[in-house]
Amino acid sequence: MVIMEVLQSFRNCLLSRHDIARDWKRRGKRVIGWTCTYTPEEIIYASDALPVMVLGDLGGTKLADAYLPSNSCSFARSCFNSALRGDYDYLDGFVESNSCDNRGKIFDMWTHYTKIPNIYFINTPHTNTEKAHEFFYEEAVKFKEWLETTFNISISEEALKKAIEVYNTNRLLLKKIYDLRMKHPPLISGTEALEISLSSTVTPKQEHNKLLNQMLNEISSRSNPPKDGLRLLLTGSVMDNTELIKIIEAVGGSVVADDWCTGSRYFWNLVDLGGDPLRVIARRYLDKIPSSFMYHHEERFKHVVEMAKRYDVEAAIVFVLKFCDTHMFDAPLLRDELKALDLPVLYLEWEHSLSGISGLKTRIEAFIEMVGGVK
Amino acid sequence: MSERGLQALRGFYRNYIKKYYEDAHRAKAEKRPVAWVTSTFPIETLLAMDIVPIWPENYASVCAARQASVGLCERAEREGFSRDLCSYSRCVLGSMFGEEKSLPEGGLPRPDFLVTTTCACDTHLKWFQVASRLYKVPLFLLDVPYNISGADSKSLEETHVEFYISQLEELFSFLEKQIGTRLDKTRLRETVELSNQTSELWMEIQGYRRTIPCPMDARDAFSAVFFMLCVPGTRMAVDFCTTLRNEIRERAIKKVGVVENEKYRLIWDNLPLWFNLKIFEYLNSLGAVVVAETFSHVWAGSLDASNPLESLARKYLPNFANASIKRKIDMIIGLVKDFSVNGIILPTNWGCRMMSIGETIVRDIVYKELGVPSLIIDVDSSDWRNYNEVQIKDRFETFFETLTRKQ
Repeated sequence: MVIMEVLQSFRNCLLSRHDIARDWKRRGKRVIGWTCTYTPEEIIYASDALPVMVLGDLGGTKLADAYLPSNSCSFARSCFNSALRGDYDYLDGFVESNSCDNRGKIFDMWTHYTKIPNIYFINTPHTNTEKAHEFFYEEAVKFKEWLETTFNISISEEALKKAIEVYNTNRLLLKKIYDLRMKHPPLISGTEALEISLSSTVTPKQEHNKLLNQMLNEISSRSNPPKDGLRLLLTGSVMDNTELIKIIEAVGGSVVADDWCTGSRYFWNLVDLGGDPLRVIARRYLDKIPSSFMYHHEERFKHVVEMAKRYDVEAAIVFVLKFCDTHMFDAPLLRDELKALDLPVLYLEWEHSLSGISGLKTRIEAFIEMVGGVK
Repeated sequence: MSERGLQALRGFYRNYIKKYYEDAHRAKAEKRPVAWVTSTFPIETLLAMDIVPIWPENYASVCAARQASVGLCERAEREGFSRDLCSYSRCVLGSMFGEEKSLPEGGLPRPDFLVTTTCACDTHLKWFQVASRLYKVPLFLLDVPYNISGADSKSLEETHVEFYISQLEELFSFLEKQIGTRLDKTRLRETVELSNQTSELWMEIQGYRRTIPCPMDARDAFSAVFFMLCVPGTRMAVDFCTTLRNEIRERAIKKVGVVENEKYRLIWDNLPLWFNLKIFEYLNSLGAVVVAETFSHVWAGSLDASNPLESLARKYLPNFANASIKRKIDMIIGLVKDFSVNGIILPTNWGCRMMSIGETIVRDIVYKELGVPSLIIDVDSSDWRNYNEVQIKDRFETFFETLTRKQ
């Protein structure tokens, strides 16, 4: 069946992301890694390089543990572990930012301990005042110039405009995919939705757009929609693998909405067209639905509440990665916001590696049973 | 000759800390404007406008010293705040949920507004967002670019300095709106000048610690730094630092040290164990003395009162909390050479990413360049629940054996 093949393609993009990147390199092109969704990816794309989000894995962090203390972000530790193991040796450059205290210092760790060349730092304001916009625009200009100088290339205005078009298309298509989750039961599962959004961060965008179009064309013919379950919203920082959602969906949950950096927050806002392309690109990032490190963090709460209503959820899970300060501070506040909607909320604070997975499963199962029982 | 304890610091708690909180409560009762502020915020701006600045971080360290911090942390944890968050923030949030009468120094007076900056960490912003929500008071954020090149005060990127200054202007508009009085620029220059004098005296005091034997220990420095942090633009700070400078100078001339036969001269990074400042006496008993804290040297630098805004930018922006680890390494390497240091203590801080990540780089580079070893100890400044004194002492003793072998 065609739809299952398309879904498998997204999965493959994720599973074979290192092969895709190496293949890109074999064609004589560059690959640039990034880690924060405040990185203006369009500029990398316009330089004809492949931008890839650096992701971790669930296989433990033995190499990284020699350098990073146990009280550092476990996602950052996993990414660093992959870099130390050589998974990212194909990178021609790596872009970091100060979007959290872990990241600022991770720049030092990557610079000092990995072999990745050309590590660049984008200074990301924590406000979106006009002065902050001006500052971030200058950062975008510097980033473009750095790419040009480092790789001896030139990035044209046309290329930037093209990048905006391709990226905006991707964002619009992803929003249409998310619309499929509004149905009762949803037309795609939470696991599939995450595979789709996450694969966008590591796949050449034009190819991803093709897959998204195929998906949207074929979805109405889907004869095996996901199981109906308790409609859930998941919120947190970053989710770079589908294990958690698989656990949830195996015990009667149906994840229909999210607020991850690698989910809705990645694509929800478009670049406004018109004017200097660098300026509108930079503006998009500071004005998008904020991550928790931003001054106007309550706009994220509004987004979560809106998602809960739009996708008609019955309960929410606040999932915070261990040692993610900004989300740990937000979690009790966000829980209150969700409870104000009369939604039952489960707050989980867990290692990225999901160690102690059986305990996690038990808690989720009990929560879903409890809420289902109340219904 | 050796002699512990400084005259200038006799009655320090009663005369200065207790009074600081009494004054703050009085100001609140008299309806004078009270603002909460975090470290690395240019506190001179508030002092110049007669706004009473309250330092919740100082309060947390006071609670820890009085063995009250863990109870308050637990109070915040019961409200859903993670045990892995900064213990300063948990302690103060706990005090906000707690009963005022049972709190050390009667708790903190409620702020009329909050001011913070991203210059040290995200935690400051996040913690104050929670406070702003709970107390329903406005929050101003001074949004600071990250000093990725590790530049010092003189070589900062101009765009960073400009962005900072432009926000100081916004800050004054915010403050004027809050209190209904305009900034008096003469007053600002006077405050910056007093801050400059405090800073110069402080650096002079630190300079005398080069002397062998070292005339001042970490315990005294971590107390006295209160004047640099909480009240730097006041006459009181200048007076105190003058008295302290005179005493330290005399001790240096007369060779009165903390430890008579110094075996190990140490640098202490990050924060002390506020709940167990006696650890420094224990170090003394082993012939060790802390001759420099990064915390005492990070505020170095002169301010030019004729150019107050830029001076403040150049004072606060290069803080190593807001910079690539290179900045801290440069500072430590300078201190090792200058202060005849033979060992470095790198305490991490459980709830603090900024103070915990990168210490291995410091250890590796300083050892490679100067052959001076470091000891990383995993601790928390104010939450003692995971603290094991026996293990920590064992680690110190093993470390000192290494240093002895090297000598």
